[in-house]
Amino acid sequence: MAVLLTRTIIAVDLKDIKAIIDLMKKNSVSEFELEKPDFKIRLKRGNNGAGPAPGEEPPPAMTYVQPPVLVAPPPMPSVPPITNELEIKSPMIGTFYRAPPPDSAPYIEVGMEVNRETVVCIIEAMKVMNEIKAEAKGVITQVLVENARPVEFGQSLFKLRPS
Amino acid sequence: MSLDAQILQSLRAAGPGAVSGAELSHRLKVSRAAIWSRVEALRCLGYDIQAGPHLGYRLVSVPDVLHADDLRSRLDKTQVIGRQIQVFQETTSTNDVVEKLARDGVQEGAVVFAEAQTRGRGRRGRKWVSPANKGLWFSVLLRPPLHPAEATQLTIASATALRRAIQTEAGLEASIKWPNDILIRGRKAAGILSELKAELDQIRYVILGIGVDVNLNHADFPADLRTQATSLKAELGREVARPDLAVAILKELDRDYSRIRRGHFAALAAEWEEHCETLGHEVVIQLAERRVEGRAETLAEDGALLVRTDHGHLERIVGGDVTVTVSHQGAR
Repeated sequence: MAVLLTRTIIAVDLKDIKAIIDLMKKNSVSEFELEKPDFKIRLKRGNNGAGPAPGEEPPPAMTYVQPPVLVAPPPMPSVPPITNELEIKSPMIGTFYRAPPPDSAPYIEVGMEVNRETVVCIIEAMKVMNEIKAEAKGVITQVLVENARPVEFGQSLFKLRPS
Repeated sequence: MSLDAQILQSLRAAGPGAVSGAELSHRLKVSRAAIWSRVEALRCLGYDIQAGPHLGYRLVSVPDVLHADDLRSRLDKTQVIGRQIQVFQETTSTNDVVEKLARDGVQEGAVVFAEAQTRGRGRRGRKWVSPANKGLWFSVLLRPPLHPAEATQLTIASATALRRAIQTEAGLEASIKWPNDILIRGRKAAGILSELKAELDQIRYVILGIGVDVNLNHADFPADLRTQATSLKAELGREVARPDLAVAILKELDRDYSRIRRGHFAALAAEWEEHCETLGHEVVIQLAERRVEGRAETLAEDGALLVRTDHGHLERIVGGDVTVTVSHQGAR
């Protein structure tokens, strides 16, 4: 079902729209139009994604997905990822360190090959030192965080191209 | 429990009294000759056990050595922490040994002590001075049912447990410097460094590495640490029995670990906050090349330090080196 709204829907309650759609379905009504001084809505039932009938002026359409989800942006065509790179993420909030002691060389650099067990960095949270492993075999393509910066839970730390 | 530990347990239970060889033999279901030979072996370790023909055996004094079975026999049976204890004469770092145990699948609660460490370590590659027979250098293996983000609860639990044990065993007023250094009169007497192995959603294991400067002399510390570090002996003016302190710490750690497992973290955090002397003071936090200055205002729910910077911004600190720039007023 495609629902086309000509103006902003901010002023209307989504529940009301859903009730109208349900009524349309129940009574096999294919089109519904309502106009008020500051608001106009036109609902049209048909095939999913069906556009306006030929000859009709195409309204500045917004696609109304499904209640109770608020008006979603038009669905993006699913673009296949350019690479199948993986991201190594932080399992905790903490401070990101690229090297074990401050003066030693970083665990890894861009271009280095790693395997599942390779330690790539340390995350420190209140003196708990967490060695982060690559968890995948591949080549590091990007370091996303600067040394000694705070990181959030689930934040991406490195990009890795699996091999 | 080894026969040695059983003998010591029976002798301890008798207090200043004596236990006859016949009774020990009956109780422990071994011959009187076997008891005699083990008593001789314990004497070689330094246990002063008096024996008389009509008296039986009496434990006069125990040496200041860490004896794994003896320590184990002094803990409660239900206790998780210390259900397996090993003592090394010397090792690189007890954290290394426990890491090996962890990878081998040993169950949680295993504790490894070393009388000396050759590569004892602190935060960020720093050395932890661990001279032979003068401190407690040990590591504990834990497999807590926690999310990796909750591992900081263990930082807090280790601080409260260690502080209580030092206070009750040595009678010293101890405080906590954020997050878990133990200070006596403003100087560090014990430190904790934990190492965590975790997946994104689950902790595999945590190694709590603990160092307590028990009977170190001033000269045992490197010159650059002498103004910041202290030992229980230096503060007390007498030596502290390390086995007694070790038992006290393992008991307190077990108590706080069980509080975490039962979800009683809030009470633990409150105790920690009560003794955390960093709050309310001007602090400098060094995060590699980055520096944060401000007033340590309060603690977040997870124990992070909230610092009000000079720009009035509240910064959340979870790592780094904290220096308290204004000496605390409570020092005596």
